[in-house]
Amino acid sequence: MINNIREAFFRNLWTENQVVRQILGICSILAVTNLMVNTLVMGLGLMFVISLSSLTISALRNYIPHRVRMIVQTFIIASYVILVDIFLKANYPELSRALGPYIGLIITNCIIMGRAEAFAQKNTPFISMLDGLFAGLGYTIVLMMISFVRELLGFGSIFGVNVNFLQLDTWTIMVMPPAAFFIIGVMIWVATALSTPKQTSQPAVQALSRGQQALANQQVKAGN
Amino acid sequence: MKGYTYTIVFTFLISAILTTVLAVANQYYQPKIQRNEEVAFKRAVLYVLDITPETEDQVETVFAQSIRAHSVDGAEVYVREGQDGQIQGYAVLMYGSGVWGSIQGYLGVSADRRVLLGIEFIAHSETPGLGGRIDESTYKEQFRGVPLLDRPISDGDVDGITGATGTSNAVLRIVNNTIDQLLPKLEVGL
Repeated sequence: MINNIREAFFRNLWTENQVVRQILGICSILAVTNLMVNTLVMGLGLMFVISLSSLTISALRNYIPHRVRMIVQTFIIASYVILVDIFLKANYPELSRALGPYIGLIITNCIIMGRAEAFAQKNTPFISMLDGLFAGLGYTIVLMMISFVRELLGFGSIFGVNVNFLQLDTWTIMVMPPAAFFIIGVMIWVATALSTPKQTSQPAVQALSRGQQALANQQVKAGN
Repeated sequence: MKGYTYTIVFTFLISAILTTVLAVANQYYQPKIQRNEEVAFKRAVLYVLDITPETEDQVETVFAQSIRAHSVDGAEVYVREGQDGQIQGYAVLMYGSGVWGSIQGYLGVSADRRVLLGIEFIAHSETPGLGGRIDESTYKEQFRGVPLLDRPISDGDVDGITGATGTSNAVLRIVNNTIDQLLPKLEVGL
């Protein structure tokens, strides 16, 4: 059990990280990562929804009829998202206003559906919940890193606290959604470089030289 | 493979359960959400008439004491009255299109209709950090005391936001349109 939990933790945070390894949930990243506070709320909302929906779907996995399973999963996910939305509107109206439609759009976050289909369907409730929680955590950590860069360069602040002591110019591009593309591209590059075992380029070279040899042979024949 | 009947019954049941849960949560939080919206609206009206109460309770009492709503041509005009019933200013809803979506807010003019008292936004979808900075008080406070002359308010009266020219222009356009529509109504009298 402990091993399973550890496996789920490392798999979701690193080896199969939803964002930098599986490239999921990109749309929400572009939208919410320009301020760290918004990003944190989005991440917490997603973690809540993904762990509870994985738990529910896993608990019901033997009862959900196969042919309507995706619609039922969407329904369960949507219910939790609406709960988060109502809760924020009632208790944190300012945050709810700042995040606007993005909380509602957690429903369409492919990570949640992905975890439901790939994991919660086939595993017991407790580990499914943790798997969802860790997947959400992996997503949140990546988002926080992106928003750290964007807020620092775009506003000169961290969590709304001004740290731009030298009065440097802020970068307007970092405030706009495309900035997330550049940062996430770099992060995917780094993650891939760190985790891909070093391969010697032997096979490619051999194939190339074989091809050249064949070509040379043909030319020799043609010459003859 | 489970039968059609089972599928239908299951789908029906889970729909019923989830909908009930959501309905209960919605019902439970509805009063609070409505109060939040009402306080936000009252705070906005008071803000454009240059009254800035702190707490929610103060917002409620001040609004009840000094604001009277009148309906003119189907539009609500909020009139600020002093202790002696003398009119001190008018506030109306303003709206129009911004860069990404519509911008909604309130706008206040003085009793003699010669000075803009203030503006406030209640809903917009401008780029956070760029056009979204119209929510910052440094931007909004510039509109206080701008004289209403024969010409429209321009960027000579109010500084726009760097990197958000579209939003800044949209706000000026909305403010000018609203004033153009409001002043003739006030001439008629309430």
